[in-house]
Amino acid sequence: MPARNRTLIFYLALTLLVILGAAALAAPRIAPYRPTAQNLEARFASPGADHFLGTDNFGRDVYSRIIHGARSALLVGIVAVTIAVTLGSLVGLTAALAGRLIDAGLMLLMDSLLSFPTVLLAISVVSFLGYGLLQVMLAIGVIYSPVFARLVRAEALAIKTEGYVEAAYALGGSTWKVVRRHIIPNLLGKVIVQCSITFALAVVIEASLSYLGLGTQPPTPSWGLMLKDARNYLAQAPWMAFYPGLALALTVLCFNIIGDTLAEKINPRLNGN
Amino acid sequence: MKRTLFQKMLIILMLPALLAGSLLLFGCKEEPRVLNFALSGNPDTLDPHKTSGTLTFQTLKSLYDTLVEPDTQGRIVPALAESWEVSADALTWTFHLRPGVRFHNGDELTSEDVKATFERIKSEAVASPNAGEFASLTAMETPDPATVMLRLSEPYAPLLATLASGWGAILPAGLIASGHDFGSLPVGTGPYSLSEWVRDSKIVLTRNEDYWMKGYPKLDTVVMNIITERAVQVQGLLTGELDISYLIDKEDLPQLEENPDVKIERSLTALIMVMAMNCSDPLLSDLRVRQAINHAVDKQTVLDVAYGGGQVIGTFMDSGNAYYKDFSGLYPYDPDRARALLAEAGAQAAELQMVLPQNYEPHVKAGELYQEMLTRVGLDVKIKLVDWSTWISDVYRGGKYQLTVIGHTGKLDPDGTLRGYGTESRYVRWVNPETAGIIDRARETSGFEARKALYDQALEIMAREVPFLFLGSSYRYVGLRKQVTGFRMTPKLDTFDFRWTEFE
Repeated sequence: MPARNRTLIFYLALTLLVILGAAALAAPRIAPYRPTAQNLEARFASPGADHFLGTDNFGRDVYSRIIHGARSALLVGIVAVTIAVTLGSLVGLTAALAGRLIDAGLMLLMDSLLSFPTVLLAISVVSFLGYGLLQVMLAIGVIYSPVFARLVRAEALAIKTEGYVEAAYALGGSTWKVVRRHIIPNLLGKVIVQCSITFALAVVIEASLSYLGLGTQPPTPSWGLMLKDARNYLAQAPWMAFYPGLALALTVLCFNIIGDTLAEKINPRLNGN
Repeated sequence: MKRTLFQKMLIILMLPALLAGSLLLFGCKEEPRVLNFALSGNPDTLDPHKTSGTLTFQTLKSLYDTLVEPDTQGRIVPALAESWEVSADALTWTFHLRPGVRFHNGDELTSEDVKATFERIKSEAVASPNAGEFASLTAMETPDPATVMLRLSEPYAPLLATLASGWGAILPAGLIASGHDFGSLPVGTGPYSLSEWVRDSKIVLTRNEDYWMKGYPKLDTVVMNIITERAVQVQGLLTGELDISYLIDKEDLPQLEENPDVKIERSLTALIMVMAMNCSDPLLSDLRVRQAINHAVDKQTVLDVAYGGGQVIGTFMDSGNAYYKDFSGLYPYDPDRARALLAEAGAQAAELQMVLPQNYEPHVKAGELYQEMLTRVGLDVKIKLVDWSTWISDVYRGGKYQLTVIGHTGKLDPDGTLRGYGTESRYVRWVNPETAGIIDRARETSGFEARKALYDQALEIMAREVPFLFLGSSYRYVGLRKQVTGFRMTPKLDTFDFRWTEFE
């Protein structure tokens, strides 16, 4: 694909995400209905003038619920990724800079976390902490921290042996100063790429957990919860499943496109694949 | 290979002959009447004394008989016992057994079998979860092979209901003595005997030729296919692979009704759908708040949307029960009245938490409807989903909740439904010594009229005091292939009866 098209797609994805973010922020103002308002006379109304994307089994407006659902999705993404980055980077840096024993111990812990299937681990954590959005964010954050820990550790180990870092040490710089001035700036690019990809995964896991009834608590709108409600009415009201599914797929796609494009920019070796 | 003309001719000539021959074969031999049924899960065991699992009793209903049994209305009628009488002090029950009844292994039914069976369920070695219902049974006598006398330590009116339940199944004394494995090889007097149990796949039942009801059962074979997914059952019914599915949702109805080969039978379940309110909670201990919650809910709509329709109830008894009395007019849907009552109680905008069992989708749906209706009268209700074991331990046993949504299974005897209410022991924590006293007295009173009078009083106090929001009894939809008739269910035991079932 020509580079120009790729850039176009990148900006398209970015625009879509900006729109989504703006819609999520302004949800209470732009949603035509309260997302939890039931109208039992208008159950399963098909998309039309009154309800842009139709109504669900309680007569709730699907469009309003999708916009409000974007809030849960983005909130989970932001909080979970922040937790994962912070926790992962701390562990990764410590492992890279501290002695061999600590390194081995920390990495063993991270590897054992990585060895679990993600959704299974998320379900176990949430079952232990109790159901709810906060627990889901925590769980996803912890589950994805090993990815960041490994990334940060590997990069830090590589950077540590570069001539300019050794020079900084030789000039009498403290470890903290070296980390701040040399290691972190060099890591940033790759971490941002990983953030974008993790964000997409976090959104999917939130939807999966909510679909299983372990995440967002009803009647708070969440895309996963909307899909869960919809599965009993696929023949009767396909719009109940289609639009939240579309929102979820588009969001994940956009984050993946952004992540991939950034990765290519940072690591030119990936170009021309 | 090359065939000669003669061979080809021969084949062409033989074809019609073959066809005619096979038709002739079918004509001579009557096709066995095989019914394909869908069971929603694998029973844990087939020993009636070692489980409380519904799936077990749903299977055992066709393999065993009980001394007495419930008819379709829930009245207790004779089964293995032709008749019975109760002594004046209500402490001795005498049952006269039906003559000529045989177990599947050929043994004849005698009073010794009854005695051995009830001794088995009471024995500590068996540790039956239902042994408690036989606690007042202290001694048994068998004056002759056709008579058995049960002696009780105290009057216990629910005894007949216990004997009619699945765990009242009569086992052969000979096999009990030899330690037979009833869990996988049941031997009873029932209309069918077990020919095969492929775990997680199917249970095959074969007609008992010597069954005591002459001319019954009508079918030769019942295959209980174990199918856990509702959607698979529906598809099976549509294609004809299944003849009966009892797990039909209201949402499946349009699809099934379109198919001319399928019919739907609607019946009332014995479920008592409620929203329980914890009366030990400072807010909910105020009667006016509980009344307001009752006025705030449009019950028929919740029943229709969440539970597939049903009949509204006003007290703690399933609406099809003989002991049911209608109090549903006490707290009609009236949001304005609800707001006024909340204002009077100083509970406007009060916060409440509703705990819902996450694995029961209809209850979660009902919870969402309740939440919205309560929000409209000004209450601030938050939903919390929990898994089933947490619900049992925290809500039902621990009483740690404010509001919750659940369905109670109506019992054969009203004591099974009402026992313990009015005391601290029940999860609504509603303390009313008068009601508790009436329920205790009704347990020791015999005779339907006398007991009904007492239960009417207890149910009226409950209807007025509303420790629950009494919603209703829901409908059950059974899907059948058009030609299937005579499929019966016993709502209060949730079991199936294939004795009358046949193909038209």
